[in-house]
Formats: sequence, structure tokens, C-alpha cells
Amino acid sequence: MKLHATQKFTPVIPTATMADIAFLLIIFFMLTITFEVDKTRVALPQSFIRTEIPKKAAYVTVTNSGLIKVSDGEEMSSPVPGAEDVLSFASAVVASDPQKEFVIKADDDVPYDLVDKVIDALKQAKVEVIYLLSEQESGAG
Amino acid sequence: MKIERKQQITDEIPTSTMADIAFLLIIYFMLTATFTATRGIDFGLPKEDDVPPEIEPEDAVHIKVQPGGVLNVDGRVMQLDDILDYLKPKLERNPKKPVIIETDPQANYGYMVDVLDELRQGPEKIDMEVQNISIPTRREIEAFWY
Repeated sequence: MKLHATQKFTPVIPTATMADIAFLLIIFFMLTITFEVDKTRVALPQSFIRTEIPKKAAYVTVTNSGLIKVSDGEEMSSPVPGAEDVLSFASAVVASDPQKEFVIKADDDVPYDLVDKVIDALKQAKVEVIYLLSEQESGAG
Repeated sequence: MKIERKQQITDEIPTSTMADIAFLLIIYFMLTATFTATRGIDFGLPKEDDVPPEIEPEDAVHIKVQPGGVLNVDGRVMQLDDILDYLKPKLERNPKKPVIIETDPQANYGYMVDVLDELRQGPEKIDMEVQNISIPTRREIEAFWY
């Protein structure tokens, strides 16, 4: 009687390749992640025409409850009491970087009066370019 | 003579723990990454704001955005889609025809964005660019035109 030596198969998971794939995913996320200076949730207006906003642009957030928050693009946004304070904020930012782009991130149904005051403050501060943050409008125009 | 057998030490990197750490980092990035809108409509502001605008109110096309989104163009009520068709003959005569967007303070901000967006679609819709779009603030309107 010939006894066959049974071969033992031990299952092996190739963990070396798992680490490779995992590191590739990490590199992907590290390259695509952007630091968001303002996390206020707003219902943005929609538009067809949209251009990419430069990184580190200054943000002025206006919500439909009248809250105004500002950020110079480097730090998280902080609230200001009123639209008049946007002028001093914008002047300080423009003084250090005259070409700084400003983004207005506002709810679609904010009364235009408040946005008008913000735009007026930015104009007085001699801001050169303003971006109106929007979502992509889809469908027939 | 006793020959000592050399022990062969094989170097190993514990790849299973590497994968654990890597997946933990992935989960961290996945939780902190958020999808945000990073695009918008840009408009350049006039460089000189202490000089009265050269636009004469009578020469420009006035688009008044009223509460509720009603648009009044040069005194006529008009739909958003018809503005560019109205502008086309005027732009053919004068490509630099100024267009002024004046928004009522009680109107929604979104309606102004709609009008600006429509005007900026000139090259696609009527093969002509509206080169001179002006969005004066209430202060400028009261200071220069009234």
C-alpha cells in the first residue's frame, strides 16, 4: 500500500501587492484633496458659464440668514458683523496681494441688497476680479 | 571538529502591517475629502473707481432685475432667453455697446447671476460677445446717475 503524501496547501494572501494598491490610492487622494477654507453650506445659484477658481482665493460667504463670513484663502473663514466690515477685510487682503481673487459664495435667494453691499465693499477695496461661486446648470438654457 | 551551521537569516518586511497602515490612511483621507464647487462666473471690476464711468445711461442697454425675477430691458418686460436676441442687432452696430445690469435690492441674488450667465453665453448663442457688462452698485448708481 503506497501512501500518498498529502500536499498541504496553505492559502496565502499576497499582502505585498495589497500595500502597493493601498499606497497608490493614498497618493491619489493626497493629490486631489484641497483645503476648504469655508465649509458653510449654501444653496449656490446655477450657471452655464463657469471658470476654475484659483486656489487660495479669498472667500466672502453670504447666507440667506444674513450671516457673512470671510477668509483670506489661508485660514478658515470667520464671521463678520456686517457688510461694512468686508471693506476693511478686503483692503487688508488687497494691501498684501493686489491681485488676490475674491469669491462670493452666496445662497441663491439672498436679497441682492446684501450682495450689493459686499460687491461695493470689494470695489472700494480695489479688488480686481470677483468670482461668483455657482453650480453647473444642466439642461436646455 | 564541530562545524557550526550558519543560520541563514532572511530579511522580511512585514507587508501585512504596511497594508493595515495604508488602509487606515486611505479611510482617513476618504472621510476628510469633500466634493466642493470650485468654479464660478468671473467678472473683472473696473480698475478706476474714482473716475465716473464713461457709460452714458442713455447709450447703454439697461437690464433691470426686479423682485420675483421679472426682467425689464430698456423699459420692456422680457424673458431671459430673449435678451441676447434683443442685443444682437445692437451689438452688430456697436460691439462695445455697454450693458448695465441693475438689480433691485429685494430681488434674489440668483436672478442677477442668471442674467450675467446669459450675457456671457453670447459667443455660443448669438456668435457675439457682450464685451462691456457693467454691474454698478447702488452707491455708484446714486452717485453718478441721479
